[in-house]
Amino acid sequence: MSDESTLNYVNSAAAVLGIPMDAARAGRVASHLQRTRAIAALLDGADLSVADELAEIYCPLAFKSNEYMREQL
Amino acid sequence: MNTIVLDTAATAAQLAAGHISARELLQNCTAQIEATDARVNAFTEKTLGRALAEADAIDARRTRGETLGPLAGVPYAVKNLFDIEGVVTLAGSTVNRSHAAATADAFLVSQMAAAGAVLVGALNMDEYAYGFTTENTHYGAAHNPHDLSRIAGGSSGGSGAAVAAGQVPITLGSDTNGSIRVPASLCGVWGLKPTFGRLSRRGTYPFVYSIDHLGPMASTLGGLALTYDALQSPDPLDAGCHALEVQPVMPFMNSGIEGLRIGVLGGYFSDHASPAAREMVALAAKTLGAMDEVTWPDAALGRAAAFIITASEGGSLHLNDLRTRADEFEPLSVDRFIAGALQPADWTIKAHRVRRMYRGKINALFKDWDILLTAATPVSAPLIGTEWLDLNGTRHPARAAMGLLTQPISFAGCPVVAAPMWPANTNGMPIGVQIIAAPWREDLAFRAAQVLSRAGVAHTKPALFQTSTK
Repeated sequence: MSDESTLNYVNSAAAVLGIPMDAARAGRVASHLQRTRAIAALLDGADLSVADELAEIYCPLAFKSNEYMREQL
Repeated sequence: MNTIVLDTAATAAQLAAGHISARELLQNCTAQIEATDARVNAFTEKTLGRALAEADAIDARRTRGETLGPLAGVPYAVKNLFDIEGVVTLAGSTVNRSHAAATADAFLVSQMAAAGAVLVGALNMDEYAYGFTTENTHYGAAHNPHDLSRIAGGSSGGSGAAVAAGQVPITLGSDTNGSIRVPASLCGVWGLKPTFGRLSRRGTYPFVYSIDHLGPMASTLGGLALTYDALQSPDPLDAGCHALEVQPVMPFMNSGIEGLRIGVLGGYFSDHASPAAREMVALAAKTLGAMDEVTWPDAALGRAAAFIITASEGGSLHLNDLRTRADEFEPLSVDRFIAGALQPADWTIKAHRVRRMYRGKINALFKDWDILLTAATPVSAPLIGTEWLDLNGTRHPARAAMGLLTQPISFAGCPVVAAPMWPANTNGMPIGVQIIAAPWREDLAFRAAQVLSRAGVAHTKPALFQTSTK
């Protein structure tokens, strides 16, 4: 993203999320996002395979031991 | 009595023996707060009515001959993101002033009360914990007691400053990317960031659910250990509290380091440390007999992923207020919060996937090592208002740079004791050293810290409350 495209992205995304944005704030936010983009580029270089899942995933309920299951019978 | 020299364990023992009362301890503490806080600005709320009631209850129990808790009568204070019954939890903001007062204490405040500690107030911090300097525009900057013109670090800056100023011997803070270790380093006090999931976070105002830790800071290593043990308890009501039983460190404090494999982090960590910081790491390494340089895998990648998850979760958490009350936010961080809320989902999801891979590499590293050492901050405390920092020839944004050495460690969830050390060429200002162990091995970090403490190379110092302009 160029500076201008980042600024356009900030204004568009802020509108979608309902965040009011004047020109001064949009410029400052775009500067932050531009820096974060450079940091995010490091992630693109990570050697991730499709098997690399998120660090933590949703768990519907804590796992129940076999002993617990037998007690419920 | 200046509480900076107050040894928590010895104090509790003196109180149990009747040599001093909890009310006298509290009076000493409040006198020091009154004498110093106009200059330090550590406290945002004083709970002296509650403190008096708690102190008198301890004295009454002693009079009746009842068994007292391990922290009986010891005054402490908490970062103002901890719930205190009857007090509004500010989390460093003015937005939260419109919230109702907390109806119950945070889980860890309850643990402290059960141990007999006496709560004297709530402490300054960066708004919503998004900062490393506690230059809080709403409540004023927390000043470093060792040089009032310098930052105390953050985001638990009030917690570090209050201990360094001798106001209280123990404080509680939070650490997502370094917010206990950075102020511990810059204020020259002991700090502990436990394993991620060790201590319950219930009843505290969150910053980044998937990385937030809580922990203690203290004037002595013994006080840090005693407090940590008192804070431990499984808590099934905090989804992020993974510890299923208490694993105290006090019984192992004096076990020494014989047989432990201790290394020094090189590469990224050396590159981002000033000569003074490297000098302190070298002194700690020499004292502990550590010879080998070790590479922490993917440190820059880990920091990048932590940065992105922090921005995304933080921005999302405050999105409603950012829509309607952005002008009431801290000017130093509001635009970062908004930028975080706008981040593409791909960045955040990829960062979580990187974290899983990263965890595997770090856990593999600790198959070969028991303790790893590095500085807690790249430099000693900068002047308040510093914008840029030159680090080994590279220009960094000063506020973000304070977390360069802590962020990769907390992202892995490893426990760290921050040991206060004192370089020769920093005008009397401290730099902490991180003593890092594998997840769930706080005991090893405390054993190594005890060796540094006993050798006299890591310790606190009384503050002089002077101001310099250099």
